[in-house]
Amino acid sequence: MTSIIKFQPLSGVWGEGPPCYILQIDEFRFLLDCGWDDLTGIPYLEELKKHVTKIDAVLISYPDLLHLGALPHFVGNLGLCCPIYATVPVHKMGQMFLYDYFMSRHNEEEFKHWDLDDVDLAFDSITQLKYNQSLNLSGKGFGLTITPLSAGHMIGGTVWKIMKIGEEDIYYAVDFNHKKERHLNGCDLDKINKPSLFITDAYNASYIQARRRTRDEQLLAGILHTLRNGGNVLIAVDTAARVLELGHMLDQLWRSKESGLHPYSLALINNLAYNVIEFAKSQIEWMSDKLMRSFEGARNNPFQFKHVNICHNMAELQKVPGPKVVLASSPDLEFGFARELFMNWCQDKKNCVILTTRPSCGTLGRLLIDNPSPGIVELEVRKRVELRGRELESHYRIQREEEYRIKKETMMDDSDDSDVDEDADIKMIGIFQGASRVNHDLFIKAGMESKIESGSLFKAARSKYPMFPHVEEKIKFDDYGEFIKQEDYFLIDNVYEKEVVEKSYGRRQSDAEVEAQLPTKCVSHFVKFDIQCSVVFIDFEGRSDGESIQKILEHMKPRRLIVTRGAEEAVKSLIAVSSQVSPETTIYSPQLREVLDVTTETYIYQVKLKDSLVSSLNLQRGKDAELSWVEGYLQMESDTLHGDDTRNSNTKSITPIDAMDEGETFVACLEPMPLLEITPHDTVFVNELKLSDFKQVLAKNGIGSEFSGGVLWCAQGTIALRRQDAGRLTVEGALSDDYYRIRHLLYDQYAIL
Amino acid sequence: MSIPGSVQVIGPVEESDELIIRPLGAGQEVGRSCIMLEFKGKKIMLDIGIHPGHTGMEALPFVDLIEADEVDLLLVSHFHLDHSGALPWFLLKTAFKGRCFMTHATKAIYRWLLSDYIKVSNISSDHILYTDQDLEASMEKIEVLNFHEEKEVKGIKFWAYHAGHVLGAAMFMIEIAGVKVLYTGDFSRQEDRHLMAAEIPSVKPDVMIVESTYGTHIHEKREERESRFTGIIHDIVNRGGRCLIPVFALGRAQELLLILDEYWSLHPELHDIPIYYASSLAKKCMAVYQTYINAMNEKIRRQIAINNPFVFKHISNLKSIDHFEDVGPCVVMASPGMMQSGLSRELFELWCTDAKNGVIIAGYCVEGTLAKTILSEPEEVTLMNGNKALLKMSVDYISFSAHTDYEQTSEFIRILRPPNIVLVHGEANEMNRLKAALQREFEGEKMTIYNPKNTVAIVLRFRGEKMAKVMGSLASSVTGERGKSKKLSGILVKRNFNYHILAPSDLPKYTDLTISTVTQRQSLSFAGSFDILKNSLLHLAKDIKIEESKKNPTVRVFNTVDVSYDAENKFVTLEWIASPLNDVYADAVLASILQVDACSRTTRPADIVAPPGEGSANPDTSFDHFKECVMDTLQDIFGRDCVSKVKTQQTTVDIVVNNHKATLDFDKLEVKCETDEGLEQIVTSVVTRLHKTLIPIVHQTT
Repeated sequence: MTSIIKFQPLSGVWGEGPPCYILQIDEFRFLLDCGWDDLTGIPYLEELKKHVTKIDAVLISYPDLLHLGALPHFVGNLGLCCPIYATVPVHKMGQMFLYDYFMSRHNEEEFKHWDLDDVDLAFDSITQLKYNQSLNLSGKGFGLTITPLSAGHMIGGTVWKIMKIGEEDIYYAVDFNHKKERHLNGCDLDKINKPSLFITDAYNASYIQARRRTRDEQLLAGILHTLRNGGNVLIAVDTAARVLELGHMLDQLWRSKESGLHPYSLALINNLAYNVIEFAKSQIEWMSDKLMRSFEGARNNPFQFKHVNICHNMAELQKVPGPKVVLASSPDLEFGFARELFMNWCQDKKNCVILTTRPSCGTLGRLLIDNPSPGIVELEVRKRVELRGRELESHYRIQREEEYRIKKETMMDDSDDSDVDEDADIKMIGIFQGASRVNHDLFIKAGMESKIESGSLFKAARSKYPMFPHVEEKIKFDDYGEFIKQEDYFLIDNVYEKEVVEKSYGRRQSDAEVEAQLPTKCVSHFVKFDIQCSVVFIDFEGRSDGESIQKILEHMKPRRLIVTRGAEEAVKSLIAVSSQVSPETTIYSPQLREVLDVTTETYIYQVKLKDSLVSSLNLQRGKDAELSWVEGYLQMESDTLHGDDTRNSNTKSITPIDAMDEGETFVACLEPMPLLEITPHDTVFVNELKLSDFKQVLAKNGIGSEFSGGVLWCAQGTIALRRQDAGRLTVEGALSDDYYRIRHLLYDQYAIL
Repeated sequence: MSIPGSVQVIGPVEESDELIIRPLGAGQEVGRSCIMLEFKGKKIMLDIGIHPGHTGMEALPFVDLIEADEVDLLLVSHFHLDHSGALPWFLLKTAFKGRCFMTHATKAIYRWLLSDYIKVSNISSDHILYTDQDLEASMEKIEVLNFHEEKEVKGIKFWAYHAGHVLGAAMFMIEIAGVKVLYTGDFSRQEDRHLMAAEIPSVKPDVMIVESTYGTHIHEKREERESRFTGIIHDIVNRGGRCLIPVFALGRAQELLLILDEYWSLHPELHDIPIYYASSLAKKCMAVYQTYINAMNEKIRRQIAINNPFVFKHISNLKSIDHFEDVGPCVVMASPGMMQSGLSRELFELWCTDAKNGVIIAGYCVEGTLAKTILSEPEEVTLMNGNKALLKMSVDYISFSAHTDYEQTSEFIRILRPPNIVLVHGEANEMNRLKAALQREFEGEKMTIYNPKNTVAIVLRFRGEKMAKVMGSLASSVTGERGKSKKLSGILVKRNFNYHILAPSDLPKYTDLTISTVTQRQSLSFAGSFDILKNSLLHLAKDIKIEESKKNPTVRVFNTVDVSYDAENKFVTLEWIASPLNDVYADAVLASILQVDACSRTTRPADIVAPPGEGSANPDTSFDHFKECVMDTLQDIFGRDCVSKVKTQQTTVDIVVNNHKATLDFDKLEVKCETDEGLEQIVTSVVTRLHKTLIPIVHQTT
């Protein structure tokens, strides 16, 4: 009856690659997360292709790229069509992550791996679950139950519990956070006891975190210092998860008068900032008890920001008066507004860049964490620019092959004569371009927010509708025809003023043309930046640190443990630590693509307890359970209706799904043993007594006692209770009435079987 | 099956098979929902509402019939007063110490709805059940759960399904020891503008407690109902009248507002006619409607990303009647829904004498309320000040209350096919009709339908088979085989109605329980020498091990108790590992030592005669002693002459009583008497008893 359990990591072991594992229980294969690495995409792509048809279900734990980034590729390009399971916020926010990622990427280069349709397709096949909702799988997975448990770290973050009926529990818990945060509760891992198999990562195993208070103070001090000196602060965060914690925290800071932040501004910029905040507002039930209570009590939606200016492009951001604090994605400064802002601001000593997570190796973010003042760095500047003028004409005139050639040539031209400041401006055009090209989201401009924020049920004075940005072009003409716009015949020199016109032009084209023929192009070139601004890393990634992981493992004592993702030292240290705190645990740390067989020879079967047996039991309490010694005869009975019980009653049998033979089923039955046949057994004392607890019991019964050197002396020092190592207790004393009284009380503390 | 009054449960509560369902309110009535569920010693209360037709303590369900402190769990299905109205009272003014759950949206609205109720009810302070402070304090004690989220309290497993009806309304599935009970609360299987239809649970319940508000009625189609509603309003305002729609502040009102706002948008000619919604409460709760969109239907969830449907364009808020300018046609929605008091009542009294005006009753109304009274179109109505006024305004009734109708209920039952159905939340007649109709429809099926009155308990029997899981080494060593029975012994662990059987050594591996050993060490002063101690122990037990090499010589008796002798300080220490059996051995050893000690204190050590020889010789001497004792006893019983003299070497003895001769064989301890069985028996029992008393115990190792 034992299931075969196999575990195969496709990525994310012995290193910091994105997590992606296959967990096989009998014939059913789960894919646990499928992460995306921003630099390399899907490094495990080849391996995955082999398995894609065999996968029966995907379990996603967090909404960020690291955990679900490969999903669109999977569904869109590899044709994965099995159900995907995720919590409601992971579904919503995950979509935001991918939209933002795609749009950021699209703004600067041709992103070919997948498009927004793939994202939508992938998210359509997600089954949304709530925490603690047990889902029984059907079909091939019959008998399997999956349950998401809260994991902290990110909104909707999940520890997956996978159970097979009648067997043991498997937990997949990566990147969890046991600590309560401002907007999230900690994970529920402390309720798990001795799981059969526990899969976790070692990412933070050798990492020590400063106290939350210290980090908060550091952040506030850093912000204040920079702002007072007239500099801007760039806080690099993710799109839709950790940003909530920081956004909420900063908004609260701005609200308090003592903070001294009032004169400065606070902004949040990413491609979907409005939607992220709207979704956050409607997910209060997934957040911390504190936020929930404050909402229930005072109807304060914590994400009804008072001070955060929500921006979707650089133009909007520029309207926010400085000095300002800007929360921008991405956290690793590799793409998005964060990279753009970094390039704009890094050469000014007054500015400050705050990194909130430790991104993977090779990214700009990691580089800065490892070396906060790297001096002169050469960075790739990528941007999407529109073709114009002669270029544009040639675009339609010349054949496709020639087009590419010309593109390359102009690319060289561009990079030669454009300077950095201009680049920043040019990019703004691309933002709307990206949005409109894919025709996905209706943009709600800044004005809309105030209306929705007002929360009013009733007639609003003015009404606005979301609409596509559109500027009508006025054609001026005189007797000689239309005015010739000299600018049209300029090269790219004066782009910013003409941005609006160009944009609408581009859109009209896009309606008529196939996407690939859009008159835009991507250029990239390397520019040297002298990094003068201060760079600080303050940990706001919301993961449990090494010490806490150790404590959790010590308390949980998993029977088997699989250690995944993490640097080599971290994995080794976690293995060392866990074998120390929980010596009974078998620890595995599989290599990449290794198929690890974690089947155990556990024997489990069900027996039916006869009523006569149950009534003969002498149950005793022990902790939260009741215990009894049981002696009986095990017999196989055919599972037919019980003829002896035909009175008008609701016969309810909770028979195990345990077809031993086809046709007739047999059920093991336990009958009581006749008294005479019972052979004596060694007595078992269940429970572990704390002497301090026993002291109180004694006090309740009027017996004085005192601790001295770890020994509890009772009854005027005539009787001593000593606790040796775990589970061993000695009662020592002179023969007296007290001795027997105390012994009697002591026995009451145990379930004696 | 139904037995009135209190319920007697025989035998241990936990092992009882009886599931008791007892409505304390909402039994053959509508209002003050409160249903008690008892099974396996667990007590669950479903809803705790008040009766809208009564005030003060009268409005409460019959909670005085139960002990509040025995209730383990309280589940509140939705925020309506008849389901949650008495909650602050129950949480704070009774001894209740269990846990209370509701959904997020319910909790958020409950706070404001009840606060409004306190204000509106406006009754004298000695009748008031709770104050705003109590309400505030009750928030602390209420826990929340998300839909589909499984919770467990004291072995009671429960989770919630969407029920439609109002925002946050839940149906609860409760599972105790494998028996599942579904409580529907108020539910509706029809999707409307903002709420989804009640879900069909994926598991089948054994008992279903279902509402029967609408009995065998069948609702008119949603489209027809809506067009009738808008049509009547249009007529009233066209004839220059004022239209009053009394509604519950929250719940169905939001649906009506969505309908009206849409209708006004489509009819520009109506734009001059104002629609007022007179509820500060609804305004307060708007944030709740904007936040818990996950509890609404798919349409709203999609729309909310673009704009908020709960921002109305044609509806204005009305703070109170003082702010209201009564100048010509208008539409006013006002609470409370049954016009017991408050704004809707005031407006009604103001307008009821004008035939141009109209009132539309849009929800369910309870007996005894004004709304119910005017439905029978009386000529006169009694005003709040006791005067009477003519009722001339038009009265219409369009049910918008999202309760299930007969079609929906029977479909719901057909899918789930519960073997037991308990009808609640419906007036007696409606309930009877529904019961009859369901019985007709499901004739021939194993389905029993109950409609208990308040306080009347239904007792259902569930013979739960108890299944235990055998795990670990015990499972690998003992497996079942057909036709054979095998011995199985281990520890049974019972937790939350789950049973596991484990070998003692596996206990720490599979559970958080630990096994301990308790060592006992008793010391007492002993005046005698080690030899005396040793000898006395030899008398007691056969198998003793002596170790004299140590500083303190030790004797191990019965292979369990270590007796060590400290010659310097003259005391003896007993040490053994505690267990019931070992304790008895230790007590025996102790008794023997105490006895010897007492002797040795009174007589000089030399007087105590050491038994001749040691160790192996010992049993023989004691056997001779036994022989002597047997002879003495027999002589005492039968007389000196009856017993033949025995020589030391002789192994048999003849006993002659009344010419019957019995022969006793010492070697075999057998008595034989050819002629008198009675004699044989007497002698046998004497001999065996003496043997048991005198011959040292031989420890039997287990």
